[in-house]
Amino acid sequence: MGGSSGRNSSALHLPLGRADYGWTLDLQRTLHARRRAGATPDIVITVEHNPVITLGRSGSREHLLAPPSDLRREGIEVFEVERGGDVTYHGPGQLVVYPIVDLREHGRDVKGFVRRLEDATIATLADLGVEAGRMAGYPGVWVSDRKVASIGVYVSGWVTRHGLALNVAVDPAHFAMIRPCGLPVETVSIRDVLGRAVPLDGVRDGLLGRLAERFGWDLEASSLVEVLGGASG
Amino acid sequence: MEKKGIEIRLPDLGEVDEVRVVQWLRGLGDPVAADDDLLEVETEKTTFVVPAPADGRLAEIAAREGTTVERGGLLGRIERAK
Repeated sequence: MGGSSGRNSSALHLPLGRADYGWTLDLQRTLHARRRAGATPDIVITVEHNPVITLGRSGSREHLLAPPSDLRREGIEVFEVERGGDVTYHGPGQLVVYPIVDLREHGRDVKGFVRRLEDATIATLADLGVEAGRMAGYPGVWVSDRKVASIGVYVSGWVTRHGLALNVAVDPAHFAMIRPCGLPVETVSIRDVLGRAVPLDGVRDGLLGRLAERFGWDLEASSLVEVLGGASG
Repeated sequence: MEKKGIEIRLPDLGEVDEVRVVQWLRGLGDPVAADDDLLEVETEKTTFVVPAPADGRLAEIAAREGTTVERGGLLGRIERAK
């Protein structure tokens, strides 16, 4: 597992800071097409979204616990998207990672891709002093029976988009709006496990390092202008 | 009765035993090119788009939307352009 042997490949980190979900979704699709065409190396987008709810391909609006009128009042949009999985909340205090990765260069192993995302997250949490693990049959990362990170992936042309959402310090009231993954499970943030504030940027940098180990990347910070390479518009 | 054409089978996705067919992105009789996006399947939080194995025409849909397909299972068939 991982890139401990052989040469590393170069990959780009695209930090977006805070960004709306819909805008970021368009960007993911654009970069996915460019990766598929071989026009860029692997790209890892990191972002913190404004509050939003998304439904994956197994998604059911029954797992939206808040009435539509409440969501509208709060300005929270609901997106139906192509990733696998059910309902997910994104919002402030959550680190979202979208790896745009060509699996043909990483063993064509879709399940292995998800496992690497989980492993990197578990290692990052261990570095912070949080003991977390996997739950068989339920992708994501768990602190005992509470979910700390959600995973939902889309692969076409063997290139990935969508990805991972790690709860660093999310408002618990916002999680009450959904039934995560359609399961009667509780969600938890790193802050609540540790009982202290944890800066999101520090968690992000730790996770990027752990991902780079597992995918054999030399990760280089990049910008929108650079990754779109003049092909924006 | 021998069936002609190229089989579309579920690729090896790693440790995945079965998937659910979400939707076909091409209809019966449509022309397809190798590596075109053909159908979406889903397993454990991952949507995977199965690519067309060859150029031709989608001649058979063996696994309909909502059905479950095991590793290596038959999804459909492509008839080569003559």
